Amino acid sequence: MSTATLAKNRWLPIALGLGSLVAVIVLVEALIRLGWINRFIVPMPSEIFLAFPRVVREEDVVSRFLLTAGEAFSASILVTLFGVAGGVLLHQFRLLRQATETWVAAMAAAPLVLIYPLYLVIFGRSATTIVMMGFTAGLAPTVLKTLEGLSSTRRVLINVGRSFNLTRSQQFWKILFPAALPTIFVGLRLGLIFALINIVGVEFLINFGGLGQLINELAERYDLAGTYASICFVILVSVCVFVLTERLERWLRPVD
Amino acid sequence: MAAVTMPSGRVAAGAPEATPGRPILVVDDIVKSFETPDGVVTAIDHVSLTVAPGEFLGVIGPSGCGKTTLFNIIGGLLDGYQGTVEVAGERVRGPHPSIGMIFQEESTFPWRTVIDNVAFPLEIAGVPKAERYEKARHFVALVGLDGFERRYPAELSGGMRQRVSMARTLAATPKIMLMDEPFASLDEQTRLLLGDKVLQIQQQLRQTTLLITHNITEAVQLSDRILVMTYRPGKLKRMVEIKLPRPRTSESVSSEAFGRYVAQIWSDLREEASRGLRDDEAQKLQRSEQS
Amino acid sequence: MAEAGRLILPAGRARRLPVHPVTALRIAIIVAVLATWEAVAASGLLYRDVVPSLVAISRALVETLSDKLFFWHLGTTFYEIGIALVIGGLSGLAVGIALGGSKLMEKAFEPLLYYLGPTPKIIFFPVMIMWFGVGPGSKVAMGAISCFFPVALNAAGGMRQIDKILIRVGRSFRANTWQMVTKIYLPAMRHPIINGVRLGLGVALIGTLLAETKLSNRGIGFLVIQAYSLFNMPQMYSLIIILFVIAIGANALIGRLGGLDDIKRF
Repeated sequence: MSTATLAKNRWLPIALGLGSLVAVIVLVEALIRLGWINRFIVPMPSEIFLAFPRVVREEDVVSRFLLTAGEAFSASILVTLFGVAGGVLLHQFRLLRQATETWVAAMAAAPLVLIYPLYLVIFGRSATTIVMMGFTAGLAPTVLKTLEGLSSTRRVLINVGRSFNLTRSQQFWKILFPAALPTIFVGLRLGLIFALINIVGVEFLINFGGLGQLINELAERYDLAGTYASICFVILVSVCVFVLTERLERWLRPVD
Repeated sequence: MAAVTMPSGRVAAGAPEATPGRPILVVDDIVKSFETPDGVVTAIDHVSLTVAPGEFLGVIGPSGCGKTTLFNIIGGLLDGYQGTVEVAGERVRGPHPSIGMIFQEESTFPWRTVIDNVAFPLEIAGVPKAERYEKARHFVALVGLDGFERRYPAELSGGMRQRVSMARTLAATPKIMLMDEPFASLDEQTRLLLGDKVLQIQQQLRQTTLLITHNITEAVQLSDRILVMTYRPGKLKRMVEIKLPRPRTSESVSSEAFGRYVAQIWSDLREEASRGLRDDEAQKLQRSEQS
Repeated sequence: MAEAGRLILPAGRARRLPVHPVTALRIAIIVAVLATWEAVAASGLLYRDVVPSLVAISRALVETLSDKLFFWHLGTTFYEIGIALVIGGLSGLAVGIALGGSKLMEKAFEPLLYYLGPTPKIIFFPVMIMWFGVGPGSKVAMGAISCFFPVALNAAGGMRQIDKILIRVGRSFRANTWQMVTKIYLPAMRHPIINGVRLGLGVALIGTLLAETKLSNRGIGFLVIQAYSLFNMPQMYSLIIILFVIAIGANALIGRLGGLDDIKRF
């Protein structure tokens, strides 16, 4: 059987992927036990696995998770409000859009997270810094996607509105905005993801907050297995958020 | 003789009544030019026409004859032209409530259900909820989509979606329906069946209709009169009265008289269409030589 | 308002304006922002030096740019980013091409890349320190991990969008794998690769710099944290400005060189 036919099988590729992952883990475990990898640099996967429940219990992972989630939630609210409003503003005022769209695009590409020391000075080592960092990171993509959605409304739908003599406000709320909603949701999702990445990252960097701080703390305590376990946990949470929002977006999209 | 019938009692609120016998749409001496990279192009060159109340007028022409420009001008979506357009005595200066437009492209609102799509003009006019849904249901049934009220356009076929657009425009009870190649994206059989539907509706409502198309069969099937346009600059070449008896169905497509009308119109059109083709090819040759 | 046939600004009107309205608005916005900044700085509204005057910031900029030590730190950071880009970029390219070339591999492993991509890589830093020490090695590792993912994903996507006919042409001339890669795959994938490199550069920059802010005694990131700890705000602002200019400039430059649109965001 050629690899192409193997690829068509529903379960084989997934099995191959996950299987390889498992194989690597088993290999690492073996190499550590044999002493080929230093166990004080790379803890045994079995140890990491055992560290999970311990960390969850001792380090109050649930409340940390809620803290990070709360920060992400606040940042998302801000991103939604200002991001969508900003996109609408740029859409309605053509001159403003022409003048500033490139700037917004540049901001979306810039390493915004590097201003976290600045926020540290302004807001101190607090949740506010973290939320502001998330908001700053998620804003530009949301503005750009909102703008994109509004501008790419199909011409004929706009003409339908005109043929019914809609006022400018009616045209916006009854045609442009609903038509743009799918793209706006894509923007919100991007904004949320950017915000979350930056939030966890900054929590780690400033040693404050929920999950990000947990990793930092365990690392500073030289709890090897704990550090690896918490990193895996955060990756897991991040992947779950990504998948969930993707499903949500796809569920909302068929209205297209 | 064209089927001139009395307009029904149904009139858009506040709009002037059309006196029987007087044309409901008067298009007078329209000239429209565009600036293009190749210079000034006259799309419409002194076109005039009238439509009597209850009449079905077809305007047919080759691609590039300015049909869609004419559609947009009459509908009030395009200005910057010479000449006037009057609906029931009122000058048209922008989209007019007495004119309902049906576009060529897919135009249903994908985020609204069928019933919400059709109720749209009533919603805009501020009709209270219960009343507007009742009226909308009437029009949904009229186009044969009863049972599909709560569905979304994505769940319907192309032909059904065009019917939704039609119901939506009808719900505004316009004096005149303007249609620009409404069946362009549909296959031939669906076209014929939808044409049947349109005929049925038009006969039931005595709806004045102006249909712009390039499809001869469609035009002959549906119209009382047909105006043939020339290729750009668009002028009116010929007026043909379609004396096929009403009520008509798509079965009349196979009759001898039908075939004669089609042949007659095709001979006019063919000349214009081949001019268009030659022009197009000459332009492309010129452009490739320049680059 | 009904649509005009064509919106043509009469030539006379355009010439009468001294400057294009867009430029005028941009200048107006910049001036307004700078004026508000200076006003806030002068008023003492926010505590101490959080909003230093523009004069102080400009002075700090000049001082920084004329300091030899600054350029040594800049060099260190560039060096770290450069190596990170090479390691992460090349491995990303290799993996991406391998995945894109085989449907089976793609379905098996690309989801891993796709779902692991949008995660905060900086949290791996403690592990990197353990493996590579506290020197530049861990920073390079950080940058390499960060830029691996966008490059790999873009390369895999790029492989998929290659016109199949080109591959068949190559096979018909019996090109070996190396020749296929260098003469057909890579040229056909120019655009996705360039976009991948742009994104990769952006995240490598972030990864390396964040690592420097966390634990380092050299590099721009270190300088920023040093300015923070010394509460030298004008210096911090000047460093941030320089960083942003470099980052955005590099993004636009790569885009221009590759013939793509100016700024690639995500």
